[in-house]
Amino acid sequence: MTTPHALSVAMLLADARLPSGGHAHSASLEPALLGGMPTASVPAWLVGRATTVSLVEAGTAVVTARLLAEVSDGGFGLADVVRAWAARTTAPALRDAARLLGRGYLRLARTLWSDAAAVRALVAHDAAHGPLPRAIVLGAIAAATGLPAADTVRLTVYDDAQTAASALLKLEPLDPVTPAHWVLEACAAAEQHVLRVAACTTPEDIPASGSPQTEGWAQAHALLSQRLFRA
Amino acid sequence: MPAGGRAPAARALRLGVAGPVGVGKSSLIATVCRALGAELRIGVITNDIYTDEDARFLRSAGVLEPERIRAVETGACPHTAIRDDVTANLLATEDLERDFDPLDLVIIESGGDNLTATFSPALVDAQIFVLDVAGGGDVARKGGPGIGRADLLVVNKTDLAPHVGVDVAQMVSDASAARENRAVVALSRSDDASVAQLRAWVLGVLDSFRAGAHVAQDPGPMAPHFHADEDGGYVHSHDDDGRAHDHAHTH
Ligand SMILES: Nc1nc2c(ncn2[C@@H]2O[C@H](COP(=O)(O)OP(=O)(O)O)[C@@H](O)[C@H]2O)c(=O)[nH]1
Ligand SMILES: [Mg+2]
Repeated sequence: MTTPHALSVAMLLADARLPSGGHAHSASLEPALLGGMPTASVPAWLVGRATTVSLVEAGTAVVTARLLAEVSDGGFGLADVVRAWAARTTAPALRDAARLLGRGYLRLARTLWSDAAAVRALVAHDAAHGPLPRAIVLGAIAAATGLPAADTVRLTVYDDAQTAASALLKLEPLDPVTPAHWVLEACAAAEQHVLRVAACTTPEDIPASGSPQTEGWAQAHALLSQRLFRA
Repeated sequence: MPAGGRAPAARALRLGVAGPVGVGKSSLIATVCRALGAELRIGVITNDIYTDEDARFLRSAGVLEPERIRAVETGACPHTAIRDDVTANLLATEDLERDFDPLDLVIIESGGDNLTATFSPALVDAQIFVLDVAGGGDVARKGGPGIGRADLLVVNKTDLAPHVGVDVAQMVSDASAARENRAVVALSRSDDASVAQLRAWVLGVLDSFRAGAHVAQDPGPMAPHFHADEDGGYVHSHDDDGRAHDHAHTH
């Protein structure tokens, strides 16, 4: 049996056309703009995310992948990784949105990699304990497909920035090429953190670089009756 | 067959309601709930573009327990949410079916895009496409995937026909021709006979779904359409044979 290269898997996962429910999310951008952040701040905000909340997500995926690939035997389980992620993602609205995205991802993963032990482990966990956040599902996909840890981190950073960038075009009038430039700047800013995050092996290793303002905006956004995006 | 969970006949019939904004999709859903709420266990999912107004309208109509009506965000892409990436709607549908198990019917209202937006058979078992007489008598004849091939075409708000100068009988016969005689109902919420027709159609599809006889149809995202060229043009269908097309064109 032939298998696709891990890079091809990464490209598939990074493609906005992937049917996993991502198009209804703005990676916290709509909450930020409605919360009063000026559009001019979006590039700096993207860099901020790439070097904080995206690294929490990335570290969670990396640790999950190691756990499910049975590379690490640090005496912890999936529930411990989920707990570490939740402790670093304090807004309930963001945890709910991440779990919704995780369900969409798992729905896809269980079809595309139905035989992979890592994916099966998550399906069983989901059935017993409820929906898992997207970062955990990404970790399982990485384990199932051999996606290297450093690329898992880059994928997470890119996907977050690109999600916000494409949402921005629906929220503010601007040349579509402009945010593409900002996405690359955000990815570049994260690059110096990639190897550190890729080296995470235990839940404690996951970066705890939160963003309280984003959490606050997310909570306010969840109560709105007028919005384009889920979160 | 929609993905996920039990075999088709063992779960609720998933019925999509598509059509442009303002043609009366939410009102039609309220009418169906009113006409069938006593005998069927119904859940509703709305796909609003910017607000949860459709869900709130239906809740306030009092035709169904408010908890059985849920809104799904579509990220400003209502057509994507019912066709290219139906994940959010599938998850909401599965949640409704789980929370109110057993349901007989889940109705999913499209965010209302344009004439080319139709549901994927991965999301719904059957779909209704709605037009209204106020959009003009020509729309039905012009066709489109929903008009041509949805399981049912509703020509809505027939009570308004005299005011907008539309001949309903003509519009229905144009639509029937465009649909090669697939079902058409001329509806007005204030015309009980037409509501009875709609009700009978829904029950008929539900029966055939439960009997395992109903096959989900894909109207397709594209209608057969006309290409002008020096020889006078030709009609071109995108769904006839599955062959790749090597020409590009804008719509
Ligand atoms: N006269 C008339 N108006 C209707 C009928 N059905 C709906 N409407 C009106 O059409 C407008 C749009 O209806 P709505 O259900 O919100 O359309 P949607 O955007 O397709 O969901 C509202 O003002 C309704 O009251 C009908 O049968 N007759
Ligand atoms: Mg509506």
